[in-house]
Amino acid sequence: MTDAIAIDALVKSFGRKRALDGLDLHVATGEVHGFLGPNGAGKSTTIRVLLGLLRPDSGSVRLLGGDPWGDAVALHRRLAYVPGDVTLWPTLTGGESIDLLGRLRGGLDPHRRDDLVERFELDTRVKGRAYSKGNRQKVALVAALAADVELLLMDEPTSGLDPLMEALFQEVVREAAADGRTVLLSSHVLAQVEALAGRVTIIRNGRAAATGTLDDLRGLTRTSVTASVHDLVGAQTALGGLPGVHHLRHDDERVTFEAEATALDAVLSALARAGVRSFVAHPPTLEDLFLREYADELAAARVPEDER
Amino acid sequence: MTLAAPPRTGGTTNALAGTRGLVRLALRADRFRVLVWALAVGWLVTVSVQAFEGLYATPESRAARARLISSPAATALGGPGFGLEDYTTGAMTANELGLCVMLPVAIMAALAVTRHLRAPEEDGRLELVRSQPVGRDAPVVAGLVAAAVATFAVGAATFAGLLTTSLDPRGSAVLCAAVVVQALVFAAVSAIASQVSGSARGASGLALAAVGAAFVLRAVGDVRGPRSTSVWTWLSPFGWSQATAPYVLDRWWPLLVGLAAAGLATAGAFALVGRRDHGSGLLPERLGRAHGRLASVTGLLWRRQRVPVASWSLAIVLCALLVGLLADGVVEFVDDDPDLARLFPAGAAGAVASVLTLYVVFLAVLAAAYVGTAVGAARSEEVSGRSAALLALPVSRTRWLGAQVGLAALVATASLGVAGLVMGLAAARTLDDPDQVARLLGAAAVTVPGVLVVLGVAVVVLGWAPRAFGLVWAYVAYVGVWSMFGAILPDGTGVASPFTYLPGLPAEPMDWSGAIGVTATAAVLVAFGLAGFRRRDLAA
Repeated sequence: MTDAIAIDALVKSFGRKRALDGLDLHVATGEVHGFLGPNGAGKSTTIRVLLGLLRPDSGSVRLLGGDPWGDAVALHRRLAYVPGDVTLWPTLTGGESIDLLGRLRGGLDPHRRDDLVERFELDTRVKGRAYSKGNRQKVALVAALAADVELLLMDEPTSGLDPLMEALFQEVVREAAADGRTVLLSSHVLAQVEALAGRVTIIRNGRAAATGTLDDLRGLTRTSVTASVHDLVGAQTALGGLPGVHHLRHDDERVTFEAEATALDAVLSALARAGVRSFVAHPPTLEDLFLREYADELAAARVPEDER
Repeated sequence: MTLAAPPRTGGTTNALAGTRGLVRLALRADRFRVLVWALAVGWLVTVSVQAFEGLYATPESRAARARLISSPAATALGGPGFGLEDYTTGAMTANELGLCVMLPVAIMAALAVTRHLRAPEEDGRLELVRSQPVGRDAPVVAGLVAAAVATFAVGAATFAGLLTTSLDPRGSAVLCAAVVVQALVFAAVSAIASQVSGSARGASGLALAAVGAAFVLRAVGDVRGPRSTSVWTWLSPFGWSQATAPYVLDRWWPLLVGLAAAGLATAGAFALVGRRDHGSGLLPERLGRAHGRLASVTGLLWRRQRVPVASWSLAIVLCALLVGLLADGVVEFVDDDPDLARLFPAGAAGAVASVLTLYVVFLAVLAAAYVGTAVGAARSEEVSGRSAALLALPVSRTRWLGAQVGLAALVATASLGVAGLVMGLAAARTLDDPDQVARLLGAAAVTVPGVLVVLGVAVVVLGWAPRAFGLVWAYVAYVGVWSMFGAILPDGTGVASPFTYLPGLPAEPMDWSGAIGVTATAAVLVAFGLAGFRRRDLAA
């Protein structure tokens, strides 16, 4: 399968600031790809390069097999974009904006449009200047999702939406993926990405810090374990000697630690010998992965170890 | 944060809390703007008075000028005509220059209020500010104070400039006070408009409509009753300020009417503040169409631009109509004065031609200001992120910007064409000379390449140095000042103005090479600007 998006060693500077510093990002056709990073990591800059709004300084960028800068107009027929901060024309109603955007792309499916308007509970008769942030976001979502396109570029698309609308958003993105569309979903709502994305790229200071499926990324990391045991001292001694066990701590009756996948077997035997009373283990969440990538920054910001 | 006033200890709410912080913020934001306004107005008034002193040095020439200026059309554009019987340089300054200063200062003051009151409310800045211990009256005070400070600065700079001329300082003080007072009235009216309208644009439009209405009221009044004797004049803030008759009667009391009106309007604005919600006006927001019919970049552009396009075209054509009606005044003026007639070798016809040439260029400068706003609108679409929404569609940059540049060129050309025709028809009627129609239509047409050069400069700035968009306004101001005052400015200062290279029809003969050269320059500038816009990063 070819990549819908293939970015290699992309560099983009604004004055002296390097917004993208050798970014690699590959999105396969038909996948929902999560694009994670905190504010200022370069997510929006990447998407704006993909839209041909910014010109790359160096590196290679291919979008749907074309050059996003040179073939912008032809490529834009095949994609739709949802910005994170939607500005509408103040004197146009939401409905007029949706229809204008759709017609400029070459027509939109009126049934799908009306269906989305109804599901998102959007009043399309309101003028752009009178919409709340969430409603402006809905206008952009309806306009993009009603379009018959191969690729959706979404830059923090649900900022300002309430939890009900967030759930609806996940539903319609799954429908879009089921229709075979490719989605690049930039977000810092980790639960959203975890629910939708097959593969994830974590961007940091303009570079890809980690990329792969969630399972890949999880395999590289540790399982968090909390257990209360009868023989606390024995458990501690046994666990402390095992390779692949980290951050071993204890209180009056419990041990808490992180174990690498390869150490899990030995860990379970050691705990069993000490007499387990209760046992809680959970795989790393996307949040754990994300926080691990940013561990040093969190340390610099002096977030206590327990909260990492 | 400097905006926050200390929390009040009494526990009562205070609508004026935080005013000092907001006023300081407004003044800081405006400091360069105010400086430019004050220096520009002060300098232009001083230079104009010096020109009056030089051009009309004798009582005879001033008396002839008085006869010209007493025609109804000139009165409509000028003033109530105090001191026409003994037309001193001071009377001339008050009568002919007064309104030219009052009108732009009034617009400046009205827009300063909406800029500090409604614009930050619309983009959400004010919400953050109001969440601080800042009362709901504080932004109104800040807007009014900013407008007042700008107005006083312009008044003071003008007064300082006038002190360097031969004019009586007492009259100059009255004139400058008159300029300040009428602007304060419009600032207060603008504060009311800001409560009534639902949007910043609507509020500015309403305030400018009030300025326009006041101008028409005093025009009607001054034509019907000279020396401020008509009721119509007294319905207009311009009328009150002009009734002071600077340098002739030096009356202070009409300014009390203006001050009272400003006070009443301010009180009205404060009374209305509490009756509306933040972010909306007293006029209800109507629901619109659920489905749109717009289907193209051009359609959207027209929808966005139709009001400014209509306003600018109407202003240009109305000015042309008034100038055309003024033409017979020039003939009488020259015919009545044998000394003056000798100055124009071609006689009255030559005098009419030179006056009309100047006015045609004035219309072209108006059109140039319009094309500046049209390209400025493209820039603000870019900064707001709305252009990115379009350019993420199969819409090329050339098509997006080309549509806006094309519309601006078309509107400027059509407005000047219609203006030339209307001016020609009016002049043909007043002069009883049908040839004027073709002559003035041609004169207006030949200024079009000059306007297109200004458009080209604006596109080049947008394409290559968009953050320095202020350069466009500097260039428009330069072209405008040079076109109007070129005769009294040092040689060589007109080198960068396109009108230097265009023939001044109808006074001068047609010069095809100049017209073609300027048109080609405009085309190159537009193409160069578009090329820059195609290759640069977009702002948002």
